[in-house]
Amino acid sequence: MSAQVLIAEDESHIAESLGFILEREGHTVVTVPDGETALLRLHGRLPDLLILDVMLPGLSGFEVLKAIKSDPRLDSLPVIVLTARTQPRDREMAESIGAAAYLTKPFSNRDIIEQVRRLTAGR
Amino acid sequence: MARTLVGQRIRDHRKARGWTQAALAAHLQISPSYLNLIESDRRNIAGALLKRIADALGQPLEEFDGAAERRLVDDLGEIAADAAVAPLHLAADSAADLVARHPGWARALVALHRSARDRQEAIAALSDRLSQDPFLGDAIHSLLTNLTAIRSASEILESVADLEPAQRKRFVAIIAGDSRRMSDVAHALAAFLAKAPVATGPVTPVEEVDDFIFDRANHFPALEAAAEALALQIGASPTRLDAALAGWLANARGIDVRVGSANGVVSHRPRFDRAAGMLELPDSAGASTRRFAMALAAAELACGDEVAAQLDRTPLLSAPAARRRAERVLHSYVAGALVMPYAAFQPAAAALRYDIDLLGRRFGASFEQVCHRLATLRRPGAEGIHFGLMRVDPAGFVTKRLPLPGLALPRYGNACPLWAVYGAFRTPGSIVRQLAEFPGGQRYLMIARTIEKDAEGFGVPPRLLSVMLFCDALHADRTVYAGGLDLGASAPATAVGQSCRMCARRDCGWRQEDPIMDAGMY
Repeated sequence: MSAQVLIAEDESHIAESLGFILEREGHTVVTVPDGETALLRLHGRLPDLLILDVMLPGLSGFEVLKAIKSDPRLDSLPVIVLTARTQPRDREMAESIGAAAYLTKPFSNRDIIEQVRRLTAGR
Repeated sequence: MARTLVGQRIRDHRKARGWTQAALAAHLQISPSYLNLIESDRRNIAGALLKRIADALGQPLEEFDGAAERRLVDDLGEIAADAAVAPLHLAADSAADLVARHPGWARALVALHRSARDRQEAIAALSDRLSQDPFLGDAIHSLLTNLTAIRSASEILESVADLEPAQRKRFVAIIAGDSRRMSDVAHALAAFLAKAPVATGPVTPVEEVDDFIFDRANHFPALEAAAEALALQIGASPTRLDAALAGWLANARGIDVRVGSANGVVSHRPRFDRAAGMLELPDSAGASTRRFAMALAAAELACGDEVAAQLDRTPLLSAPAARRRAERVLHSYVAGALVMPYAAFQPAAAALRYDIDLLGRRFGASFEQVCHRLATLRRPGAEGIHFGLMRVDPAGFVTKRLPLPGLALPRYGNACPLWAVYGAFRTPGSIVRQLAEFPGGQRYLMIARTIEKDAEGFGVPPRLLSVMLFCDALHADRTVYAGGLDLGASAPATAVGQSCRMCARRDCGWRQEDPIMDAGMY
């Protein structure tokens, strides 16, 4: 199943590897380095999935997620949140705002691939 | 509340001061039999006589008139309200009962409750620090980020068979770059954690004092000067220190210096009662103990301001108990400097090659006193070897500690059982020397011997403690204790650690618990 995936991740090495493995899965990937750019892109053509890092420069991942979920045009977009923070309250926060999945770094490529498959199935 | 046992309290305080009933009665100008009735709680007293008794015993009136008990009952009430014991439904009147019948146990409960609360607060502070420290947060975030990039790129290299050479090169470069960044962060983190205990600050008065002494490298130029001035003032010379001290205490300060006890109560420790103007030197104490006790009394009387000035300047002593403890430590420092003046002691130490016994004989000081003095020889231009000091009891409890910058001594629990300070208990009274090598390769010369405290004669075993001096093995050849030892870098040495939790020697037969960190520590 080929999907349009937007990755918002400021760590270029992580973004590069993520892009590589998802493209090998047959998806089309666009990478942006911060939250503002991610929101701008979403207001153009809506992708099938957003992979969103929490610790972004400027707008944080949580702020971006909140903006998405409070915008009726965007709120159906599934979002995978990536974080290097392990406090339970981060996961609760992500889930309460409406993240579809939550992965803590360092995750395996397999974890990402599985989540992307799950969330893009049927598209 | 239940009747407080005033008489019993009076008796306890009288005995604590070593007074006979007759002595206190005479002081109060009442008959011993009347005092006996009071002490047996067969006469109720209050008012002027109670005040006089309190004054005579050097206690606040509230110690006897029930105010102290009322406060204790209030404190117990606070404990009863603590969530941890609330299900027990402790009744208020039983607290009053406990205070009346077993005041010592009541005070112990309150003290334990306070210390538990202090610890809770300390734990909360440490945990806050760990979760909120911006450096730690950033460092861990960087480590996880680098690790994610490395993991992802390496999984690609591992699982994708048809990578093009340029792609392979790119992912290898990512791994190399992130590994480098991760190493930098790990180094910074290790340095931060190594410093952390000082930055966090100690939790108990003992630790505050330890940190204060360590911070000043156990050398106090102002106190050395004060001791020298005092020596001049009392007319001390190495050959007539005892007489000069006794004379100055009696004539200049009006202190009644007695050998034995004033009231027939036998004590085995010197007792200086500044308010009463009395210094009792037990006849069972050795000459060095008596001399040191006189020097200590003189230091307290003459150098209080200099000591206070040292304590006022440091931010490290926050608790009043820590300040009092530090005061005692610094008074002892001055006493040591009186008995072993720097100008004479340091050259003698170097000339005698730090032979503790010979120095003790020359300066009329005990083994422990000489060890203490040797650990203070840091005067610029006239430095001795930098020694660390440690004293333990037979259970392994560290009762004195002066670490060296490279060799931390455990704050809690025990050090490595292989250290000479423990080995010395096998041959009481004999010096044990040891060339000890730590897992990182650092070598130290350790010199230890047991000492006996408070000998009371046949039937009462004296307290046995072990005292250890230690220095970097680099300086060992300047000491008499290196005689016959091969100090070469490849020479055999005893393989020791700091403590099990901090030691990387996994195969050590003495290991009692796992290390908290692996070899990365060293």
